[in-house]
Amino acid sequence: MSIKRQKLVSTAAIYAMLTPTFGLLAVFSLVPFVWAFVTSFFDYEVGGESRFVGFDNYLEYLHDPTLLPSFGNLLFLTVFGLLIVSTVPLAVAKLIFSLKSEKARYLYRVLFLIPIVVPGVAGMMIWQGMIYNDTGLLNETLRMLGREDLTRGWLSDPRTVLWAVVFMGFPFAGGINILIYYAGLAGISESIHEAAELDGARGLMKFLKIDVPLVMSQIKLLTILTVIGTVQGFEGMFILTKGGPGFKTMVPGLWMYMNAFSFQRMGYACAIGVLLFLLILSLTILNMRYFRSSEELKAESA
Amino acid sequence: MRNRWGQLALHAVLICILTLTLAPFVFVITNSMRTNSEMNHAFFGLPKFGRQMFDGYAYAWEVLRPYTLNTMLVCIVTGGGVVLVGSVSAYVFSRCKFKGRDTLFLAVLAFMMIPGVLTLVPSFLWVKKLGLLNSHWVLILPYLAGGQVFAIFLFKSFFDGLPGELFESARMDGAGHLKLYWSVVLPLSKSVIAVVGIVNILGTWNNFLWPFITNSDAKYHVISSGLYLMNQSNVSSNFATMFAAYVLASIPLLILFLYATKPFMQGVTSGAFKA
Amino acid sequence: MVIVLGLAAWALWPRAATHAGADVHDVKDSAPRKYTIRVAPGIYMPGRRPQDLGKPLDGLRDVTREFEKQYPDTRIEFTEAPVGQREYLITQLAAGQAPDIINVNVGDVWQDVQKGWYLPLDKYLEQPNPFIAKGQPGSVQWWDQFKYQAISRSKTAPDGKVYCVTYDMVETGIFYNKSMFARLDLSVPKDWGEFLKLQQKLKDAGVIPFLVDKGAVADWGVDLVFNQLYGTIVPGLKLKRDPSREAHLSRFFDWDELAFLNQKGFFTRRDPRFVETFRILKAWRQFFEKDMSSTDLTKAFVTQKGAMYWTGSWQVNRLVRDPDVGFDWGLFYLPPIPKSLSRFADGHPQCVIGGSGTQFEVTNSAFDDTHNAATSEKLKRTIAFIQYLTIPKNVDRVVNEILCFLPNVVGAEPRPELKPFDTILQRDFANSKWLYTFDLRFDEIMRRMLDLYINNGISEDEFMAWMETNVKTACETIVRRKQIDLSKFEPKWKELAPLRAGVQELPSEH
Repeated sequence: MSIKRQKLVSTAAIYAMLTPTFGLLAVFSLVPFVWAFVTSFFDYEVGGESRFVGFDNYLEYLHDPTLLPSFGNLLFLTVFGLLIVSTVPLAVAKLIFSLKSEKARYLYRVLFLIPIVVPGVAGMMIWQGMIYNDTGLLNETLRMLGREDLTRGWLSDPRTVLWAVVFMGFPFAGGINILIYYAGLAGISESIHEAAELDGARGLMKFLKIDVPLVMSQIKLLTILTVIGTVQGFEGMFILTKGGPGFKTMVPGLWMYMNAFSFQRMGYACAIGVLLFLLILSLTILNMRYFRSSEELKAESA
Repeated sequence: MRNRWGQLALHAVLICILTLTLAPFVFVITNSMRTNSEMNHAFFGLPKFGRQMFDGYAYAWEVLRPYTLNTMLVCIVTGGGVVLVGSVSAYVFSRCKFKGRDTLFLAVLAFMMIPGVLTLVPSFLWVKKLGLLNSHWVLILPYLAGGQVFAIFLFKSFFDGLPGELFESARMDGAGHLKLYWSVVLPLSKSVIAVVGIVNILGTWNNFLWPFITNSDAKYHVISSGLYLMNQSNVSSNFATMFAAYVLASIPLLILFLYATKPFMQGVTSGAFKA
Repeated sequence: MVIVLGLAAWALWPRAATHAGADVHDVKDSAPRKYTIRVAPGIYMPGRRPQDLGKPLDGLRDVTREFEKQYPDTRIEFTEAPVGQREYLITQLAAGQAPDIINVNVGDVWQDVQKGWYLPLDKYLEQPNPFIAKGQPGSVQWWDQFKYQAISRSKTAPDGKVYCVTYDMVETGIFYNKSMFARLDLSVPKDWGEFLKLQQKLKDAGVIPFLVDKGAVADWGVDLVFNQLYGTIVPGLKLKRDPSREAHLSRFFDWDELAFLNQKGFFTRRDPRFVETFRILKAWRQFFEKDMSSTDLTKAFVTQKGAMYWTGSWQVNRLVRDPDVGFDWGLFYLPPIPKSLSRFADGHPQCVIGGSGTQFEVTNSAFDDTHNAATSEKLKRTIAFIQYLTIPKNVDRVVNEILCFLPNVVGAEPRPELKPFDTILQRDFANSKWLYTFDLRFDEIMRRMLDLYINNGISEDEFMAWMETNVKTACETIVRRKQIDLSKFEPKWKELAPLRAGVQELPSEH
């Protein structure tokens, strides 16, 4: 077999191996996306007529009464989410990693992982029904302490609702994130730690100087996933507050959902969705470009 | 001495955090065995021992039971498919050189960024046109298409980290791509397969909207749709039933998880989760 | 591992006669049946226990078996459907795979009538019900069978057609803790002033005076107070006469009348009656529970933390059957607002705002055998099934199996526990329904902003600004969608001018 021919066969094999992936994506993901993109230029409702309106849907969204509150909320949720995801699980992972007993380390990792088997929706309903409810954990505890005056509708009081929403899931330690950081920490060799100790680095300083840069790859991944999840996400708000009271917890995803299904404005909803897609795409590209992973940090310091 | 106290303090802090993390779930389990009347009288409390403890479970089980086998079937087929399709493509992206590789890989990743609500209606109208409504395929194929993206990402990071010499020596022996994939890569990837499989099954298990709208025939419904229905209908105002349903819905996942803990943990720690 | 698998296999092995969510008949019944009609019966789903109380239901199943004996080629299959979810409705109806008979709130139906997803039922309602003997109500027109005509007729869609059969009736009322009232020496109030004083006393006694859901305030509360303040000026504003509805709905504003009045300055900041409507609701709010979103109202009432509970007749089922209710309870209706409390009110009795708990719509899948409603054999059977269900004897077996709703068919009496609601339902029908008249976007914004306003989240000015824009947008949208020329009302408007002449504080036109 000539080299050229071998190469051809090999190229054919490569494309053959990629066919299932791209076939599935094209049929079940690309077609609907293109449909939605095209629809964003129409005034359209399912089962009704459609009328080409150009960029009207996009322009209208600029004047939408929910635009400001929802992007404000989105920013708040993203910043808070990033703050949490890059600290709490990392700290817990470090605590577990610092244990001497191999058995204890394993046990803690398993126990912290258990919440992943609980459906996300169920988790939210538990928080809504058992913790923030009028007769939920928070208010009942306050009543037990004789502080009836402090009780409130945590999810309906305009002053507390956003905080109540972001604190859902406290202490933010359950799930897979701890393991992901743990993997990063486990990859750090003992010699680096010893060298740092010789340099006089201790406690928190040592953690910040040695550990954090070396789990940057993990932080970067979780950052990207958090941004994607937050910008796309609306189920949480839908279940907890429906974006209320008023529009206090409205997010663009939820408004898109309501326009698509309640308000009969599929075209308008698609326009919001396309904008969200572009937002996520550009944030991810920025993230990829300007956020250094540990490998790159290593390469730079070398 | 100092060290021992330090370790104790670590345990203390970890146990505190763990308690807070697991408390809601413990609460759900205990309250799934308390009647409405018991909950009305005292918010905190242990279930009264007796037959009524399992009333909620009996009723919830009656609602969820018919969907269980179907859910398992869909989850297993989807999970297996995602592992297969995802690992093959990831292998190509990781180990083969060809024109446009990086662009294609980024294009695949971009699909992760399309909001799900945006494509819900188009996807529905489209699968209807394809004649897939009311079948297992209408669940499995779109789940495969969507689920493979993150799988490809994870597999690729993992394959990137495998030592290159392995491939070199195998290639020297004249192994083709398929052979390399099958006899070199797959045996090394058991743990990451466990991760991809489980993460995917969790996602499939929890998805309720798509099964609901694509299957008017109840025989294709899944457990999470059943949960959702219970919640939607005015049929149940009983907390015990709701909680019992949550617990029941989690049990198969818990069993799966208990059997796969080891490879799963190895998989996550193998370094696939990074960017 | 083996044990787990064994257990799983045992638990999951399909048993005879149970089936995925659907109700399936005896295995013996295997005669070939040509037509299968899928029905989403809502709360009457056979085999379920509404509110987790009482025995599993079988009334509807029994009736169905008898129907199937009469129609050996037809099989009825029951299914549960999340009809409250728009994404479910839209996709299923667009695909033509919704249940053939479905139970959807008219507010949701009206959004979609122009798409041909639902079948107009006027033709059938105006003809006899074949299952009714000569001389009985329904033997001339199916319409005559329905007891609460005003409310049943108010289910007419904005396009003037009726898409649902109103099977039962739900009415609201104030449930009150009789034992607590006796203990505190309180009595049922006769007007709004007494009502407020009563609530203050209860508040002083340390209980929540009035339990109500925020959705109920936006829905029932707005319509009732609106009716109290506008009731006296209706004759000068009523632009339309519809002979078919005249006897029952002579004072009811349709969407196009509301839109025309809005052009004339009504329902804006310049309309003092409109502002006052919401002011009264806000002043009342101090007596409600603290958290209007998440409080378990039934629990608060049952555990005697709250004294009164404004809710629907379905609550009777719970209160009668819950062993925990260790007190006497009674029912009354909202008292009228006297002139002394609002210069716009005249103390006429509160109107009724009931609706149906269950209404049956026929969807586009009911004629999917021929895809033509005129020739479909399946459709004939579908209609026949609904007609069969409305035989008084059958209504009694289905509706009265639970204590939630009142039969809406002449000849089927409500259960004694629900009788008080029957009295309430004899009242005049409301002037308007603010929610469900326009689009769902209007409803959404009105609900949200009213919630914020009465809970001190925004000022009155901000709230009225929202409402004004919201009403205006909703009117413009519906006029554009239905392509109606509002100027057709101008002559009538001029004609009514003398009736408006003496009225104080009407809004200025600009």
